[in-house]
Amino acid sequence: MSENLSTLTAPISLSTYHQLSLTVESASIRNSGLFKPNPYLQITIDDKIIRKTEVIKNTLHPKWKEEFTVLVTPLSQMVFRLADHHSFRKDNVIGEQRVNLLKILQYFNGKCENVELTLENPLIASESKTAELVMLLDGLRIDPVILHQSHDLGEATSSNRSALNEGIRARIRRNNPDTLRSMLRTQVLRPPPGPPPLSNGAVGSGAPHTDNTPVPGPAGPSHQDPSPMLPENTHAPPPASTSATEEPLPSGWEMRYDVYGRRYYVDHNTRSTSWERPQPLPSGWEVRRDARGRVYYVDHNTRTTTWQRPDTERLARFQHWRGERRHVVAQGNQRFLYPPPQPPHQPDPDPDLASFINLSGTSSTSNIVTGSASAGGGASAGGASGFAATPPASAGAGAGAGAGAGAGATDDGLGALPAGWERRVQPDGRVYYVNHKNRTTQWEDPRTQGQEVSAPEEALPPGWEIRFTEEGTRYFVDHNTRTTTFQDPRPGAPKGPQGAYGVPRAYERSFRWKLSQFRYLCQSNALPSHIKITLSRQTLFEDSYHQIMRLPAYELRRRLYIIFRGEEGLDYGGVSREWFFLLSHEVLNPMYCLFEYANKNNYSLQINPASYVNPDHLLYFKFIGRFIAMALYHGRFIYSGFTMPFYKRMLNKKLTMKDIESIDPEFYNSLVWIKDNNIDDCGLEMWFSVDFEVLGQVIHHELKPAGDKERVTEANKEQYLQLVTQWRMTRGIEEQTTAFLEGFNEVVPLEWLKYFDERELELMLCGMQEVDVDDWQRNTIYRHYTRTSKQVAWFWQFVRQMDNEKRARLLQFVTGTCRVPVGGFAELMGSNGPQRFCIEKVGKDTWLPRSHTCFNRLDLPPYKSYEQLCEKLNYAIEETEGFGQE
Amino acid sequence: MAATRRLQKELNDIRQSGLKSFRDIQVDDSNILTWQGLIVPDNPPYNKGAFRIEINFPAEYPFKPPKISFKTKIYHPNIDEKGQVCLPIISAENWKPATKTDQVIQALVALVNDPEPEHPLRAELAEEFLKDRRKFTKNAEEFTKKHSEKRPTD
Repeated sequence: MSENLSTLTAPISLSTYHQLSLTVESASIRNSGLFKPNPYLQITIDDKIIRKTEVIKNTLHPKWKEEFTVLVTPLSQMVFRLADHHSFRKDNVIGEQRVNLLKILQYFNGKCENVELTLENPLIASESKTAELVMLLDGLRIDPVILHQSHDLGEATSSNRSALNEGIRARIRRNNPDTLRSMLRTQVLRPPPGPPPLSNGAVGSGAPHTDNTPVPGPAGPSHQDPSPMLPENTHAPPPASTSATEEPLPSGWEMRYDVYGRRYYVDHNTRSTSWERPQPLPSGWEVRRDARGRVYYVDHNTRTTTWQRPDTERLARFQHWRGERRHVVAQGNQRFLYPPPQPPHQPDPDPDLASFINLSGTSSTSNIVTGSASAGGGASAGGASGFAATPPASAGAGAGAGAGAGAGATDDGLGALPAGWERRVQPDGRVYYVNHKNRTTQWEDPRTQGQEVSAPEEALPPGWEIRFTEEGTRYFVDHNTRTTTFQDPRPGAPKGPQGAYGVPRAYERSFRWKLSQFRYLCQSNALPSHIKITLSRQTLFEDSYHQIMRLPAYELRRRLYIIFRGEEGLDYGGVSREWFFLLSHEVLNPMYCLFEYANKNNYSLQINPASYVNPDHLLYFKFIGRFIAMALYHGRFIYSGFTMPFYKRMLNKKLTMKDIESIDPEFYNSLVWIKDNNIDDCGLEMWFSVDFEVLGQVIHHELKPAGDKERVTEANKEQYLQLVTQWRMTRGIEEQTTAFLEGFNEVVPLEWLKYFDERELELMLCGMQEVDVDDWQRNTIYRHYTRTSKQVAWFWQFVRQMDNEKRARLLQFVTGTCRVPVGGFAELMGSNGPQRFCIEKVGKDTWLPRSHTCFNRLDLPPYKSYEQLCEKLNYAIEETEGFGQE
Repeated sequence: MAATRRLQKELNDIRQSGLKSFRDIQVDDSNILTWQGLIVPDNPPYNKGAFRIEINFPAEYPFKPPKISFKTKIYHPNIDEKGQVCLPIISAENWKPATKTDQVIQALVALVNDPEPEHPLRAELAEEFLKDRRKFTKNAEEFTKKHSEKRPTD
């Protein structure tokens, strides 16, 4: 009766319905009878909602784990009736208990989240049976201010207390930061509903009520409420008096207690936990909400914003990142690559190239676009994509009309063209390819592009070996007869020195040649005129983002004209070089959470699986994809490169187990162990499913359908390792990678990269730098060698004779990157912190050198002569597939 | 969850084996990645008390090793003030996915019983241990009496 009254008279906010998740977990029944019961639980809420669990047969300890979502108001009365099911007669009630939700809400300051409710000694227990019932209440949160309105109800509320009986225990289930991981899967940490200042004012607003309201404090039950409803004081909220002296928690934060009564703090904004009470925002910072209600932080000092709350660690990382800024430009000026290819290097001597560039130089964008309409008979694809594709390096307009004549697939056994590509034929019968995604044309088939270069070659006959001359020309050593020759001894090899591109094959393998191929494609697809990008240094990232994403992607191939506001100057290349460098450093800004350094070292970036804290992250990755393509297209460098596995992904190469070593050596070692040992009798208890954690959330993944049910055995472990490798390299970053590649491909076809391997891609993107060999040698350590070992002396002799490209490649081979830290080799980092360049004596002289990039270590076998050392090292670092690392 | 089945099995095995030196194992049903238990050493000066430890398993277990920390303060050259302990069997270099928690615990108990002053986390205690064993033992005993938990009676 009284409940009904209070429901009727309560203010709107107290009678509003909310969802409550109610998990009926288990019961334990003491039975003096002969038969075990068939228990089930019936839930009645406010005399109208009825839910039942399943009947579990013949047990005193039923376990249901059944979750119900029910609609409740803060004033709801819940009745739990545990009954014994009989098929032929009326069910027996084992026990019944009534619970007043308001009591629980008041006790936990409005938060009914992960509250374990134990009901004992039910009110109407039948004589023979007593029982205990355990449930979990979750997902309900009521503003404490609203709750306190209930006191205005006066007697109605206090008479409700009679509904609370002994034998009801409630506590927050153990919730230390580690258990949070598992809790998150049940979405306990949903962001707080409603305006944060209210829900987070919980602690403060509770304070004035403690003396005169029945909010049970940890000091014991309130004087008005003699029933020991909530005896577990250790889990109680803190005394209001202590918290009253503290500032209210920042928006989105919540204080909780773990099972030991230790306080910790949950940040619902970032879904993270911390033992430390969140510090007030540093001076000059402010919390805001955007139009979509998302919380963000404004730093008025630097006029920047971020999605993550600035804590000490994040600020320290930010400071470090800012400190790098002053090196960035200086670094940029030290990078170089080969000068643009000279005409003699042009592999495809097309006399029309120059005229094409000139011609198109005179036509404006709109001309190009309308050209598609005038093309008339041109393939519909041409019209659809809005431009008339002209064959590469042929005179613009005329060829446009003939374009499309040969459209349509020809069955050449290579399969379909990549998405967005079309094959066309010139009037003179020559085939060319059009990429509608980014409006480029080329003679080469994108399906085979670069393949002639990187295709795996047949094995040499026994006793033969490939070597290179100083100039990089390949020759062959026949150890059987102790002779050398330029002629490839393999039967399938083309006779003579010409390769697939009509230049010496050895040259085709060289980086210079590949680079000239790429440059040629860039030049032949250049667009006339220029685009202006005007930015302010303070808002470099946002300004760049808006201007680059505003333009159609192909326009980004026009000449760039960068202007920094307030710094008038003409961009003859210097300003845009600076812009690429600064912006590439800017994407690393820890506040953006887009990229992170792989494996704790400070050189190579990988996509941050937690990037989704930034709600627009996919747009940003697309933007960065465009930007990186622009850097390659315009021949500019970026400050910090990516991990080798990331470059491989750009090249669409298969990732191997060895690739994991560079980003997660611990994980890699475990995979190797599984590979190398018989796993059948060592109790690994592994199945075809895996977990990982990001921002405190555990993400479960089945490696194949029903993987949870398939055990990993010695017989199927190969497949398991393959699947795990694939998963490890892509987990949490697939969407971002796709967005990045999409952005990239809009500006430069990914097919153009196929000439290169991942190390060459890094060199192209980051450029080379003068390597200080003295500094390198000074900061190198040795294992099982000494400074004076002859192999060590030979090694340095070898390094000093190399050119910069080779040195860069040697560095890539050993450290995983061609870049040297700003502070020189003394600051080289490995996966566990500072790790100097190390040369270790390993193996026999017939072995090839190997490397461990996460430890910057070169395994150098004790070679017998300087010549032998040079050969082997050359071979190891030139081999693009990196088998020297295996 | 991938690690759950393995941990459940390990937990059952450990509970059944009835280790005297590791007792009172508490694992929350909702989170099997965190275990607590009492280390009950046999050797003086630690045999006057028991020490609560927490074992945290990563989501990627057993690809990655668990981490152990002491919740009870202990006067020990290999265990620092924050409760961190350096245990080779769970270091990055030595970890194998077949290593069982049972072995890890036994290694830990052995380390508590017989400190290894050659690899100290607390250099000052290691020095005291080596140079003035009597003083070390006295200090450690007092510390144990003051801070450690009660040993189980059975």
